[in-house]
Amino acid sequence: MTLQLPTETDPPMTHSAQPKAAAAAAPQGASVAGRRWVVAVSPRNIGAFYVLAIIIVVFSVWVPGTFPTSATFKQILDSNAITAMAALALVVPLSARTFDLSFAYTMTLSGCVAAHFVVSNHLSVPLACLLGVGAAFVIGVINGIVVVVMKIDSFIGTLATGSLVQAFITYFTSDITINDQRLTGSFSKFGQDDVNGIIYPVFYALVIAIALWLFMEYSATGRRLYATGFNPDAARLANIRVDRLRFCSLLVSATIAGLAGICLASSLSAGSPSAGTPYLLPAFASVFVGATQFKSGRFNAWGTVVAVLMLGTGTIGLGLASAPPWAADMFTGVVLLAALGATGLQRRSLRAGRTGSLAAVLRRFRTAS
Amino acid sequence: MIMCDWTDAHALARDEGRPTVADEPAVLAPTDERDKMPRGGADATASSVLHIEHMSKTFPGTKALDDVSMDVAAGEIHALVGQNGSGKSTLIKVLAGYHQADHGTRVWLNGEQFDVTHVADARHSRLRFVHQDLGLFLELNAVDNLALRGEFLLDPVHRVRWNAQAELTRSLLARFDLDLDISRPLSEATPVQRTIVAIAAALAGWEGGPGLLVLDEPTAVLPPHDVERLLEIVERVRSRGTSILYVSHRLDEVFRIADRVTVLRGGKVIVTRPTTGLDAQQLAELMVGSEVDAGYRADVPVTVERPVVLKARGVHGRFLAGVDVDLHEGEILGVAGLPGSGRSELPYALVGAMKGATGTVELSDGVAMPLRKAQSLDIPIVPADRAREAALAEFSVAENISVSMLQRISSLGFVRRGAERKLVDRWMNTIEVTRGSERQPITTLSGGNQQKVVMARCLARDPSVLVLCEPTAGVDVGTRQAIFEFIADRARAGLSLIVSSSDTGDLLAMCTRVLVMCNGRVVRELVGDEITEQTLLNAMEETEQI
Repeated sequence: MTLQLPTETDPPMTHSAQPKAAAAAAPQGASVAGRRWVVAVSPRNIGAFYVLAIIIVVFSVWVPGTFPTSATFKQILDSNAITAMAALALVVPLSARTFDLSFAYTMTLSGCVAAHFVVSNHLSVPLACLLGVGAAFVIGVINGIVVVVMKIDSFIGTLATGSLVQAFITYFTSDITINDQRLTGSFSKFGQDDVNGIIYPVFYALVIAIALWLFMEYSATGRRLYATGFNPDAARLANIRVDRLRFCSLLVSATIAGLAGICLASSLSAGSPSAGTPYLLPAFASVFVGATQFKSGRFNAWGTVVAVLMLGTGTIGLGLASAPPWAADMFTGVVLLAALGATGLQRRSLRAGRTGSLAAVLRRFRTAS
Repeated sequence: MIMCDWTDAHALARDEGRPTVADEPAVLAPTDERDKMPRGGADATASSVLHIEHMSKTFPGTKALDDVSMDVAAGEIHALVGQNGSGKSTLIKVLAGYHQADHGTRVWLNGEQFDVTHVADARHSRLRFVHQDLGLFLELNAVDNLALRGEFLLDPVHRVRWNAQAELTRSLLARFDLDLDISRPLSEATPVQRTIVAIAAALAGWEGGPGLLVLDEPTAVLPPHDVERLLEIVERVRSRGTSILYVSHRLDEVFRIADRVTVLRGGKVIVTRPTTGLDAQQLAELMVGSEVDAGYRADVPVTVERPVVLKARGVHGRFLAGVDVDLHEGEILGVAGLPGSGRSELPYALVGAMKGATGTVELSDGVAMPLRKAQSLDIPIVPADRAREAALAEFSVAENISVSMLQRISSLGFVRRGAERKLVDRWMNTIEVTRGSERQPITTLSGGNQQKVVMARCLARDPSVLVLCEPTAGVDVGTRQAIFEFIADRARAGLSLIVSSSDTGDLLAMCTRVLVMCNGRVVRELVGDEITEQTLLNAMEETEQI
């Protein structure tokens, strides 16, 4: 590997106006690490984490008998594993400023396809699951063609493909849930079996989160995806293959959604023609909240996971506290506002806020061409 | 006249043959005068439209404005100049109520004191602004834009009287001789038309008379021949009795229209004086604070006899009608031309970044590549519009440098942090951008330093050819020369460059050969000593008439 660097004899620019702001903000000496640490744990950076902590404290006081137990902890993880997978599916395309609204329908599709092949064709479970993920991958290819090749705005384009996918599912299942004895056997194992009460999908979500974290944070492609999302024109002129990245990002989201859909079908022991739809909005809410956490302004895996847990913990807590049925939705709304408010405060300080707040993240999408 | 310090500076300068305005006495003059300045508002503002005393503005960690005092006389065009970061924008934002000045700041407008140290709840009706981004709604037409800034004409049931509204718009714009279809969205208007609409919108509901119009870099995005048009408009506004505070990077404009000029440097007023008896060189010195050569020439040897490193043939595309380019080793090849001549399009076509371009380009390895595949030749380009096409605003300075060459510092697809840090350190050193700022977002840097970062990004790929568009757009005077010298040094070391610029100063300073374009073709070629301001302008204007 040859690394091209300026040589020692490179003449430096001789007459530069040093930027005041940068000079003032330049880290000095030993305090650097400390300051960086303070910034990292400040509520501005991880508002959702503090909100999560508050939620835990509040419910521990409110329902001390049932909430602060390991059973509750496991229940929170179990019930949010698939939501987390769904939300994580969106990290990659959103980083490249590409919406994938079809992912929820893709989840439904992969689950139904796998269930169908197990029930009707008597295929082995692994093969049927592979076909289910394969079907999801095909949707990813279609999304790529619509968004990248046909250049249809991704928000509308994937909404349209999602609608087509749902139409196909309804046609193919006659809108009847695929229920069969076969689906309760090994098909239901990988979605329902557990290790000490923590079901397998929790570990799948963890693996996906770790993989996405490594990929987005440390790989060259991850960096290029962020560059594509931040400024596609600049990225293109910096010799980044923007179209190819966006196409591939849609393949990634469809594939992860496919896996999530299989897990969902397995945990339901059924292929439901509308199983994925309820995940659409929570996943988007989580991934957008996640983008304001840790890596301010960048969609990232751990931010997304914290956001999912923040919303999920409250919902479980309210259930344990026998709150009225409207409480869960109200809680979700209030907590979203609280988490974003805590993070969004930095908008007041002009410089840092430009990139961090949800508004800034959304603004990018609004200006997307 | 309150700020009569200029007379001292002027007299002093005359004694020494030419105004060495950067010298200590002249610089100190305003401070001496300030003590004698009248403290009362009424007296101080008798003849001035805007009078500022002791304006300071402190941001965390930096003092953007430091005890600024200045005034703008009635009917005056007053230029405000300074490098990036000198405090011009802050001063304007304070006046506009966007920032709150520190306590102790006092401002009078038309003899009345007005408070700039608190959030502005009511803007002063005699103080109007045209900000750099113009503040227009490009999706809406001129009628809507003027109505939104001025007033909607309503009938008794509060419906908009669109016919009357259109009539009003026409009459407002007629003052400026603006030929514009007022029913079409402004996104279809030319930049100069938009600027004029913005001025009309700013002055909506103001029938002339004493007051102040602040123009912040109104010509920054205008092509040269439209600048003249705009300056006429500015003169026209002044002739109606309105004073103008004119903020600009372009010193020639300052001399062209301003009566007096105030120079800011590091948040302080360096001098306020008439523009007569001052030349661009002296003004640039005042802004930078040390000697800069406005007539700077990089003095790169002409290398037309050296081998051709880039050969383009039959380049067609938007605004391009068959261009051939031969770029020699170590050459700085300029591309000149008026807007629409193909000057700004040619660089993008050559690097394969223009859709639908046809023709071929080959590097010294001798394989002719069709332009639609030219991106694979990996010729780096410094784009014309830094904010839109180059800077990744959410990325740190370091990430901005390394982004286009990640494959070289990666193994198995993962970026090696150590290699990246080393690369960034070396380039930060080479381009002389403040140590430690590499972790900051690129937007915290000045325009000049951002430009250097974008250049570092391109040069880090170790290219044999580099294409530069508008290399000094939005770059302050001091950094501008540093960029010239940097580019010239690279050329002497064997890098070949194509420089496309609407600023003839760039071409004069660096280029060894210039192609003058018109109607998508190269119509003149100037080599070495043939390149002068006059020959360039003549070539561009001559060809205009053909």
